[in-house]
Amino acid sequence: MEDWSSSACNLGILDTLSNDAVQEIVESYNGFCAATETLLCGAGDLSVGSEFVADVQSLCKHGLESLVRDHFLRALEETFEKNGAFKFWRHFEAYGKFSEIGDEEVQEVLCKALEEISMEKQYQEKCLLMLVHALQSYKENISEGRHNSDAERVYLFPKYQLLVSSVLMATLPPHFPEILNWYFKGRLEELSTIMSGELNDDGEIQDKAEISLNEKSKVSYRVGQMEIDECYHQGMLSENNKLVKNIGKVVRDLRSLGFTSMTEDAYASAIFLLLKAKVHELAGDDYRNSVLESIKQWIQAVPLQFLHALLVYLGDSISYDSVSSGLKSPLASRPSSFYPGINTPSEGLVRWKLRLEYFAYETLQDLRIAKLFEIIVDYPDSSPAIEDLKQCLEYTGQHSKLVESFISALRYRLLTAGASTNDILHQYVSTIKALRTIDPAGVFLEAVGEPIRDYLRGRKDTIKCIVTMLTDGTGGNSNLSGNTGDSLLEELNRDEENQENIGLDDDFNTDDKQAWINAQHWEPDPVEADPLKGSRNRRKVDILGMIVGIIGSKDQLVNEYRVMLAEKLLNKSDYDIDTEIRTLELLKIHFGESSMQKCEIMLNDLIDSKRTNTNVKATINQPSQRGAELGDTALPMDILNATIISSNFWPPIQEESLVVPQPVEQLLSDYAKRFNEIKIPRKLLWKKNLGAVKLELQFEDRQVQFTVAPIHAAIIMQFQGQASWTSKNLAAAIGVPIDVLNRRINFWTSKGILAESLGEDSNEHLFTLVEGIVDTSKNGGGNSGSREDILIGDEEGEQSTASVEDQLRKEMTVYEKFIVGMLTNFGSMALDRIHNTLKMFCIADPPYDKTIQQLQSFLSGLVSEEKLELRDGMYFLKK
Amino acid sequence: MGLKNFRSSWWHAVASWTWNAQDETCGICRMAFDGCCPDCKIPGDDCPLIWGSCNHAFHLHCILKWVNSQTSQAHCPMCRREWQFKGS
Repeated sequence: MEDWSSSACNLGILDTLSNDAVQEIVESYNGFCAATETLLCGAGDLSVGSEFVADVQSLCKHGLESLVRDHFLRALEETFEKNGAFKFWRHFEAYGKFSEIGDEEVQEVLCKALEEISMEKQYQEKCLLMLVHALQSYKENISEGRHNSDAERVYLFPKYQLLVSSVLMATLPPHFPEILNWYFKGRLEELSTIMSGELNDDGEIQDKAEISLNEKSKVSYRVGQMEIDECYHQGMLSENNKLVKNIGKVVRDLRSLGFTSMTEDAYASAIFLLLKAKVHELAGDDYRNSVLESIKQWIQAVPLQFLHALLVYLGDSISYDSVSSGLKSPLASRPSSFYPGINTPSEGLVRWKLRLEYFAYETLQDLRIAKLFEIIVDYPDSSPAIEDLKQCLEYTGQHSKLVESFISALRYRLLTAGASTNDILHQYVSTIKALRTIDPAGVFLEAVGEPIRDYLRGRKDTIKCIVTMLTDGTGGNSNLSGNTGDSLLEELNRDEENQENIGLDDDFNTDDKQAWINAQHWEPDPVEADPLKGSRNRRKVDILGMIVGIIGSKDQLVNEYRVMLAEKLLNKSDYDIDTEIRTLELLKIHFGESSMQKCEIMLNDLIDSKRTNTNVKATINQPSQRGAELGDTALPMDILNATIISSNFWPPIQEESLVVPQPVEQLLSDYAKRFNEIKIPRKLLWKKNLGAVKLELQFEDRQVQFTVAPIHAAIIMQFQGQASWTSKNLAAAIGVPIDVLNRRINFWTSKGILAESLGEDSNEHLFTLVEGIVDTSKNGGGNSGSREDILIGDEEGEQSTASVEDQLRKEMTVYEKFIVGMLTNFGSMALDRIHNTLKMFCIADPPYDKTIQQLQSFLSGLVSEEKLELRDGMYFLKK
Repeated sequence: MGLKNFRSSWWHAVASWTWNAQDETCGICRMAFDGCCPDCKIPGDDCPLIWGSCNHAFHLHCILKWVNSQTSQAHCPMCRREWQFKGS
């Protein structure tokens, strides 16, 4: 080695050359060049080999080895450029930019091109080997033994390799990577189809097995099936292997041309694309099944097997020198491994597996997060999807993505004016339940729930809907009859019991052993946790707590519940309050006994009423007999039932005067008298506008039944004696204001019992009993003689109890004076200042205990009454 | 006339009860008579009123507590007359 490197620089050596030597050199050089040309261009013609070797050796004798090498390499390069690269790229010229590429065609062209260029390369390598041998033999001649026999090869071949790849890279057309992509995609799809066909066939075989379960030869069939499977798998395997081998060959050829990284990129991206498509296909829009397992299986079955085969194949070909020995079958090396992941997978394969799984998790996660809103809408049914998402998130840790995407979906789709409060609440509950699965600590739930809570606080009917949802069997969702569903409250209770059974929530367990177990299970809060909120109260997600959190305090909730309970109880015609008692017991568990005290008394009133009612009626015989003497208009006491309430504990009740028909009046006073006798010194005050009446209207041809409010009964009873009434007279007769009458009488006109016409005075309406009700009447009573309409209280939103807002308004009017006085003194005030001033000064009876929201709604009421004015957040007195 | 007869098959009425007393609230506990004394939870029969011979009414529990706390003869807390249960 040192010889030639020093002699190349030593120009003095030229002087020592004789003419003969020069002559010899020139001849040898010409001969060498000619031989080189013949060698490289003459396809496969190695006949000049001996001359070539002689020339090389003679040149080397004169110390011109480097010239020989350089010239030969340059000749190789030129030839390769001309014969190899140029031809190679010409194959792909047809598939220019963006043109549609047929899959089959690509495969064919690529294989052919690769084969050609590989042949060319092999040939050139053979030539290079000749040079190597020539140089080698020369060196061995001059320095026997001590020369490293392999040096020339080690030096020249990498150089050649570099030369090849640089030539190709320099001439690389821009669309070649795309072609590679196409190729791998096509092959993988093919493989995938084979595999999935196999999986399906497996399924079919299993189906068959299931069908034959009843057959006696079950066991033998099973054995047979296994055999079938094995044969089958081997058959498939060999087919796969052929495919994989083809791909492997392409990959190896590409590698040998220096496209290692480009190839890897190409098949990696093809695999990822395929995986993505597969995940989308499997996951789709179906949330009722868990897909994670099948995705994992698919990864095992298709891409990993492919990679395994490929890696094994390539690994073999790399470790062997000659090409032919590299074609050892991967099947032979691992005959038994169908799933490559199982048998001691190589490091590369494990890395690939992790990569693929991560990618699959991420893809699925993104897919699910994007559809999380729908998933939660379907919640209990979609829990498999939630479970999948949970696993994905555990792997990828991209919870924040979920929070962001879900919040924006909520804002866009749920928190709009079009969504009903009920729907929002249901979604909120489902969200809590679903996210509780994903994130038991409730950290992300806090973030997600916040916008919903904020929004709900702005809605007026939120409290009402919450109470309905909590207490109603149907979840307040629909008017579908029956107690089909459990109320949310019961569900919560059940959950809680279950949790207690598992024993997860004994925070205050002093047992040392338990404490130790708890300590061992401690987990740090996720990094996203808000440090301002202690981790202690985050330990269990309390659905009811989160719902109450919307309103702010349980008192408002309890109050609303009381109003609704009163409404329900007052409209009961029997004393059946079992469901109410159960609900109350549940509420007591959550809100404490003392806050439910009033509600308990209300229920107790009902129980007492039942007893008193029986008692009164059992001991009242004489008056009813006396009533019989009064004539046939008198009614038996049996038809009267009463609910007797302790009015102090009920929400304020709307009292309207009403004159009930005389016989009923008689009954009521008899009843009250008897009550007074039994319960002296207590007495009864009738609230005649409340309650329910069941009426039977007997017409000539049929009988109609109604269950109505007392005022409706009072109205229609008046028509018994007189077939038509003016509204004024009728109002006077039943003792209600005329506008109330006009509103309430609509019930009968809409039923087709009464007809309305204009009287002599245009302000007067004349109501007449409809004679001979036709079948086309609105109650559609043509089908049968009798029909019952349950129409209690809910008609036209008439309520027997004052709504919470009304109560509030009544309570707030006390402060109106204060507010007006303040504004007179100060001119203008902001909301919170009014609030604070009231808090400071109204400490006497009744103390000011309203929230700022309540004050605000009251003030806005005053604004709408034009008593106040609101400008830039400041309140003024209206002048 | 097509109409023959209107009949109510039942009438469910609503009433509230009240103590037939002149006063609204108990002079001892200042709670409403129609409510109950501070020791009771349920109004009505469980927490009755009692009248003294002076015609002042109190929750039974309240006046009993008062009477029992007095060492000598108890007086009506309202009018300071000697306390006698009415009718006894």
